[in-house]
Amino acid sequence: MAAVVLAVVGASAGLLGSLMGVGGGVIVVPALSELFGVPFRGAVAVSLVAIIASSSASSAAYVGRGASDLKVGVVLELATVSGAILGSSLAGLAPVRVLKLLFAAVAFYSAASLWLRRHGTSEAQAVGAYAVRGWAPGLAVSAAAGALSGLLGVGGGVFKMPVMTLAMGLPFKVAAATSNFMIGVTAAAGAYVYWARGDVNAELAAPVVVGVFVGARLGTTLLPKLPAKGLQLAFAGVLVLLAGRMVFTVLAGGP
Amino acid sequence: MNRAVSLALWAGTLAGVGLCAAATAAHALGLAVAARLAWLGVLAILLTPPLRLAVTAGAFWREGARRYAAAATAVLLALVAAALRAARP
Repeated sequence: MAAVVLAVVGASAGLLGSLMGVGGGVIVVPALSELFGVPFRGAVAVSLVAIIASSSASSAAYVGRGASDLKVGVVLELATVSGAILGSSLAGLAPVRVLKLLFAAVAFYSAASLWLRRHGTSEAQAVGAYAVRGWAPGLAVSAAAGALSGLLGVGGGVFKMPVMTLAMGLPFKVAAATSNFMIGVTAAAGAYVYWARGDVNAELAAPVVVGVFVGARLGTTLLPKLPAKGLQLAFAGVLVLLAGRMVFTVLAGGP
Repeated sequence: MNRAVSLALWAGTLAGVGLCAAATAAHALGLAVAARLAWLGVLAILLTPPLRLAVTAGAFWREGARRYAAAATAVLLALVAAALRAARP
């Protein structure tokens, strides 16, 4: 497969992910497995490597500005990393059809979350003093998000964000920056397990990583100039189509 | 602290993405070195999270936030254990 085409897939994922505030994995995995015929676990492994690169780049900027709560981040990482190691180990045992259906469910949830968020104003919430509470639900949801990241190659931010803002009391911007900081570490824990199983194809991953990195940087630049609400609806539609195709291929007896 | 962690993140990311870009260009040009560059690029990216955790743990320790330094070290050890298992032939 041409490296340039893979780079374009990665750039699309990075751009859309950056514009929509979700990880690129929810696009990279179905694009590689459904449109390019890459084995599902191989697509997940490539996605995890790409997530580390894009998360590291964006969290470098967030951390540099002091926007991330590193104390909350390292404590929740105890749960996400444990979940990711468990999830990625289970991914080697679970039937691919089950993994694909689970992935489709996560993609539908992400699309619904984008749909509901189009009227939200929480992004504009000011960052003032806050007291962190609700550690138990935070740790529980982080462990589940880590497991899904390891199983399916997604960042898991779409699950962590609600609990960090609603249950733990973090302002939206702090929660987003902290979640971004955590995603790369979580993805690394999963990626090591995939690497141990021989699922990481470096030649496949390299162009996707470059594309995701460039797309994410471009998205950050374009974000203030584009109509966010319309894009969120369009992106939700793309997710539903990709997830729907995944469900269809599984139900039609595909791999 | 934030500056040290941010620098660690940038260093690993730019090294990894740079090597991956070189691998992509080499692949497009049909050069045999593409596979080795891609492997090195992915390796650099995979090593960035432990690097960032080590810097974070060290920074917490220097600030006297021992509990958070311990949490970061525990996560780092879990990652290193998973990485060593992955590196086993």
